[in-house]
Amino acid sequence: MKINVDFDSQWEEGLLQKIQNDGPWDNWELFKLAVNVEKHMVVPDFEGLQAPKHLPQLKPLPHQLEAAREVVENMHGKAILGDEVGLGKTIEAGLILKEYMIRGLVKKVLILVPASLVSQWAYELNSKFHIPAVPQRKEYVWEACDVVISSIDTAKKQPHRDIIYKQQYDLIIVDEAHKLKNNKTKNYEFVQSLKKKFCLLLTATPIQNRVDEIFHLVSLLKPGHLGNASLFAEKFKGKKRNMNEDQRLKELVNKVMIRNRRADTGIEWTKRHVETILIDFTEEEQQLYNAVSAFKPHNSDSIGSAFSTLTLQREACSSREAVYYTLKKMLQKTENPEVFYETKLKPLFSLIDAIQVNSKAEKALELIKKIDDKVIIFTEYRASQMYLQWFLKQEGISSVPFRGGFKRGKKDWMKDLFEKQFQVLIATEAGGEGINLQFCHHLINFDLPWNPMRLEQRIGRVHRLGQEHDVMIYNFATKGTVEEHILKLLYEKIQLFERVVGELDDILTRLDIGKIEEYLVDVVGHSRTEGEMKIKMENLASMISFAQDIKKGEMDAASGNS
Amino acid sequence: MQQAEIHNYLQRYFQSNDCQILEDKPGYFMVHLTIDQDKLLMNRPFYWHYLEKTGGEPNPAKLTIITDPDRAPDDIKGEFIHFGSPRLRQIFEANKQLASYIRLFEDKSAGMTQNPLYPWLGLNVKVSFQCNRKKDVFLSLGLNLISGQIQEEFHDKVTALNVTPKIPDYSFTLSPLIMPKSGMLRLDRHIRSSLAFEDHTWAEEAYTRWQNDLQLLETFYEDQEKGESYETEKEALREQYEPRISIRVINGGLFYLSETAI
Repeated sequence: MKINVDFDSQWEEGLLQKIQNDGPWDNWELFKLAVNVEKHMVVPDFEGLQAPKHLPQLKPLPHQLEAAREVVENMHGKAILGDEVGLGKTIEAGLILKEYMIRGLVKKVLILVPASLVSQWAYELNSKFHIPAVPQRKEYVWEACDVVISSIDTAKKQPHRDIIYKQQYDLIIVDEAHKLKNNKTKNYEFVQSLKKKFCLLLTATPIQNRVDEIFHLVSLLKPGHLGNASLFAEKFKGKKRNMNEDQRLKELVNKVMIRNRRADTGIEWTKRHVETILIDFTEEEQQLYNAVSAFKPHNSDSIGSAFSTLTLQREACSSREAVYYTLKKMLQKTENPEVFYETKLKPLFSLIDAIQVNSKAEKALELIKKIDDKVIIFTEYRASQMYLQWFLKQEGISSVPFRGGFKRGKKDWMKDLFEKQFQVLIATEAGGEGINLQFCHHLINFDLPWNPMRLEQRIGRVHRLGQEHDVMIYNFATKGTVEEHILKLLYEKIQLFERVVGELDDILTRLDIGKIEEYLVDVVGHSRTEGEMKIKMENLASMISFAQDIKKGEMDAASGNS
Repeated sequence: MQQAEIHNYLQRYFQSNDCQILEDKPGYFMVHLTIDQDKLLMNRPFYWHYLEKTGGEPNPAKLTIITDPDRAPDDIKGEFIHFGSPRLRQIFEANKQLASYIRLFEDKSAGMTQNPLYPWLGLNVKVSFQCNRKKDVFLSLGLNLISGQIQEEFHDKVTALNVTPKIPDYSFTLSPLIMPKSGMLRLDRHIRSSLAFEDHTWAEEAYTRWQNDLQLLETFYEDQEKGESYETEKEALREQYEPRISIRVINGGLFYLSETAI
């Protein structure tokens, strides 16, 4: 067959000029070194991965290397990376990107990720893969930099959109690609219009989608792979709701998808041990809790007031400082501060003043001394965080604070201090951009978030790849409060703490309870009796268990079929 | 490239560029850059600009390079350089820039007799075979500019000779019958025709994949209008799969060698 051969003529022009000008000629030793370098940089085989040789400090797991090889060799650089949560999809994407860059197949790269993950991606690609990836913060970056990271929301807007369409990208990576399941959205249309020579779509939850969502995702990558829209609709209309029920479809999808499961990776996951520690208020703390429970800032029964009462109750379970801080902010916002203070806040402030000890902090101190190892304390409130740091310091225990809002460098610094010097880290936020702390395996939930995902993220900081010990989780809850309700009626019912990494993620995505926190506020705040609240909570718990059972059934079916 | 090779390579690189090696110990070494190397490697144009404007005393950087962290003492602060590290990449690039064109004469030290030297055009090239995958082959060719003879593995053969950048006493060069420009053309033709004997299954397979995916694309657009996005997808498939071979010259030049040298 006829293959295009291109002989680069630039060098020849240079040679002729040198001959005409009689030099200057280069150094023979450097000349020999350059040839040596090229001999080393030559990649003599189509097959195999070069990237690991260039990344001696990265220790990829076998399933990650295998995924990268499979994508490059058999999927021809267009794939859905659909590993379950926590198996390192980013590492796989990094390996593939690096491989293509080393081989000179990819130069210009666009990486689309959620806004909150932009700097995390940049950090990982730079530090782990030596890839000079740049977050898009200035307009010139699109043209000036080769590897650019941006959120879809920014990229799809003008003037960026037009500039992006003018670039010749070799590889496009989309993280959290399940958000592109609907082909009617602007985001979908934007990604579809991009030219995708090579393309990686990362998502942890590809298969639980409905079949038409799978169709849209695959069509983004490889249009026609699952036929066209009308053919597909005809074939799968109504009868199949789930992809796992159709063998042929599953095979087709597996041709463009990598999906490692925790169970297949052969990685030993350590266990989670959960201990609930119920704590009694002191009399003074109890009085404050009762008072904020009865507290009505605005003399009306609006939803907002139920919400703020609940907030104060939860804060009273954490620390008096947290309550104080919220009340102070409330005071700043009112139109008539003096009156508000005299009539509403004064009694509360005197109750706050009366509190001598924080029962939970005392308990935490006792526990930290007993553990005699690294401990992470999570609290929902900045005020509690600061109080705890002060309190522990009085007892001779130095601790490191950690907040989601810290800049990357500061986060790393704090992590470093915790790893090397201090026993305790006190964190307020565990969210996506957090740090990995697998060198620690004791975690105290000083108070509980009302969103199970947030809780899972907290645990995920320590219970992840690389954790060598069983993880100890201590849940603090104050007796007879809203906190105890949430813990006993919901979290323990659904065995939230015993789950393996990522499982809850899948279940909640499937249930589509996006606003579980709001739902809980509604249940707790608006139930007329405790009995009603219990029933509503139990309903929610059984719904989650039900979803889990379905998932289990599917997993069994999937492994039986394939 | 093993760490020991890197250690050795870097020292040769710096020495060839007149940089002074201040300290050389197992696992690490310290080098004092020249002004030129500092400008090339340290990425601080403002410093040099400032210095040139103010006429200050230039102070090129000293680098401590660690090639084996296990053998280097713990209190040594420096840059760990390994295969794939950005610094090594940068030095490789600088190296290639500084070594594109050469002219050398064989020095036979043959006493007082007149010694004729034959002109050769030497080329080191990288041939890349590319579709959605890629592999490279390193080739070194020499063309005798009088006889038209083409010699493979030319670089290794020249490396074994005693060569100097200045024409040795009692040696004289013969004029080429083939001009360098047409010499380039001959070497180009030679490489192309030798490519014809290569196994091109890789290209045929890529072509089949390309056609398959094109067909899928046609199916996808059967029930909708083939607009701009259809053209984009089609172009993307071409870029992904189209087999092509590129020949890039790494470096080369003119070599004047005795009749029996090669």
